[in-house]
Amino acid sequence: MFKIVRAPLIGAALALSWAGALHAQDPLEISILAPNAIGDVGWDHEIYRGKEVLEKRFGDKVKVAVVDSVGEGPNATRAMNRLVANGTDVLILGGFGHMSDGLTLAKRSPDLKVLHIGGYQNLPNFATFTVRHYQASYLCGMAAGYATQNGQLGVVAAFPLPEVLGILNAYVLGAQSVNPDLKPVKVVWLNAWYDPPRDRAAAESLISQGSDVVYSLFPGTPSAVATAEEKGVYAVTTLSDNSAHAPTKHLCAGQADFGVVYGNVVQSVFDENFEGKDTFAGVTEGAMQVAGLSKDLTDEQRAAIMAKQEEMRAGTFEPFTGPVTNNTGSEAIAAEKVLSSAEIKSMDFLVDGIDAQLNK
Amino acid sequence: MTDTIIFILAGAFATATPLLLAAIGEAVVEKTGVMNLSVEGMMAFAAAVAFGVTHQTGDIVLGFGLAVLASTALSLVFSVLVLGFSANQIVSGLAVGILGLGLSGLAGRHFENLTMIGPGNQSVPVLSDIPLLGPILFQQSVITYLAFAAAFLTWWFLGRTRQGRILKVVGEDPAIAHNLGFAVVRIRLFAIIFGAVMSGIAGAYASTILTPGWSDGLIAGRGWIAVALVVFGTWRPLRIAFGAYLFGALLLGDLAVQAMGFRIPSQIMTSLPYVMTIVVLAAVSRNALLIRLNAPVSLGQNYRPSK
Repeated sequence: MFKIVRAPLIGAALALSWAGALHAQDPLEISILAPNAIGDVGWDHEIYRGKEVLEKRFGDKVKVAVVDSVGEGPNATRAMNRLVANGTDVLILGGFGHMSDGLTLAKRSPDLKVLHIGGYQNLPNFATFTVRHYQASYLCGMAAGYATQNGQLGVVAAFPLPEVLGILNAYVLGAQSVNPDLKPVKVVWLNAWYDPPRDRAAAESLISQGSDVVYSLFPGTPSAVATAEEKGVYAVTTLSDNSAHAPTKHLCAGQADFGVVYGNVVQSVFDENFEGKDTFAGVTEGAMQVAGLSKDLTDEQRAAIMAKQEEMRAGTFEPFTGPVTNNTGSEAIAAEKVLSSAEIKSMDFLVDGIDAQLNK
Repeated sequence: MTDTIIFILAGAFATATPLLLAAIGEAVVEKTGVMNLSVEGMMAFAAAVAFGVTHQTGDIVLGFGLAVLASTALSLVFSVLVLGFSANQIVSGLAVGILGLGLSGLAGRHFENLTMIGPGNQSVPVLSDIPLLGPILFQQSVITYLAFAAAFLTWWFLGRTRQGRILKVVGEDPAIAHNLGFAVVRIRLFAIIFGAVMSGIAGAYASTILTPGWSDGLIAGRGWIAVALVVFGTWRPLRIAFGAYLFGALLLGDLAVQAMGFRIPSQIMTSLPYVMTIVVLAAVSRNALLIRLNAPVSLGQNYRPSK
């Protein structure tokens, strides 16, 4: 039985691969894996938006597919193996948990090129990238410093991880740079990437204790932003412009653009100079910018924020420039020193003016 | 400080509401000897339907209505398996639960990450103006009042009415109940549907009032907490209500204490509700008599009346 079926199948496969070889300008097959369902804002939305950027930039030369809601476990592994077996040339992995199986797959298929968002391990055909969220966070911090009436800022943050600490610190430095009268910033750690009811409760709790600007730092959902709108305080957020969830109270968002990085990597595949390296892309590369600035900010305030963004783009300003003191009173960044990318990625302190502590 | 205490004590009612509704429903189901582990899936499906309908039509009552129909439809699948084909209750419950989670993702696909403004809370006239007690007790959502009323009604029904005692007999020994002339399968079916209605209201409340928004995974284990609360409360409605409130307060206390800036490591605070669950479960389990007196004897066992 098997023999009868197998022979034509092998024949068909051979014929197909032969046809493939003849077709020189077959589109490059790109597959993108998103861990969760695609919403209209947030992590998976941004992963998905990159697809449109690729299609616009490369047109018929690429064929992009997105597989969403695969999680970060065995389902994701099955999906990525399947995609590669079906002829994917470039695989973009959107979940941190896709790392180890992605690495295994890359080792097994030397022709495959993998781009992993947020990871830290590389192979010659396995590249990684992270976005400099902290840059836009500094700019949104300026907006918060301008907008607060009582000087009390509140932050709902996911996990106390280095990347999150960097974003939080930049926010507070930005706010302090325009407002000398800030009260110590309150932080609620959710210790979860995803828990909408607690997101909301955390925002409510900060608001009930006087915060008039709430920063939703890496939320799984827009619930903290929607809560701020409901309670009449300003909302700041990461990843996507959340204006739709807070039509009157959206103060500022750090808008990420993964598509730029996808595009550069795909271009390198076409140019045959793909490198398994790590990219830390920010305002300069066009991978990060402020979005959804509130109309309540004055023209001068908005101009000051945009001017700062231009300084970042030109490379003349970096948020983490010393001297910076940490919130236990010792020196975190020496005077004149600018933190390197590696130091930013391994941040382990909170700046002065944050009412929270880290356990080490 | 007072604001924070009010925030925790009042907020705990809201946080406890979906847990309590689903747990009361599950307690009644288990009292008839049926263990329905699809609570999480029923809540999720109901939540997705409720949000979608309310978001599209603006009619929250319709949203709740269709959500209840959705969870009931799931429970009928469970009933056919368990009551009709005498399939294993645990496995059937898990399977239907997974089906419900999948359906919730499907039903909520177009509403992923959307939010809306919830209906807000209802203040009871006069009473809500009492200092301290007013904001804690009398400025809650209608569903919160309903949930605690349901706990009292269930307590009264199970302990004080003839029908309640019949229901318990079915859970203790379905064969005897059958010989006494009670329709075991029909009573179990009604209980399962009641449980589904409660899970449906719980899910709809979670996506339209507690956190007015939908994203896949919104229920985030609350259905399982409800199942655990039934054991936690040793199948007694008022204890379950207390447990749900305690859990709600601990979940919120974590966030409020952090916001106040107390220097307690946040990870310890976040794990507190779960640590408390283990401690209380251990304490409850020490009293073997309490469990033996309250746990339905035939829990998990199918019964097919022989003609």
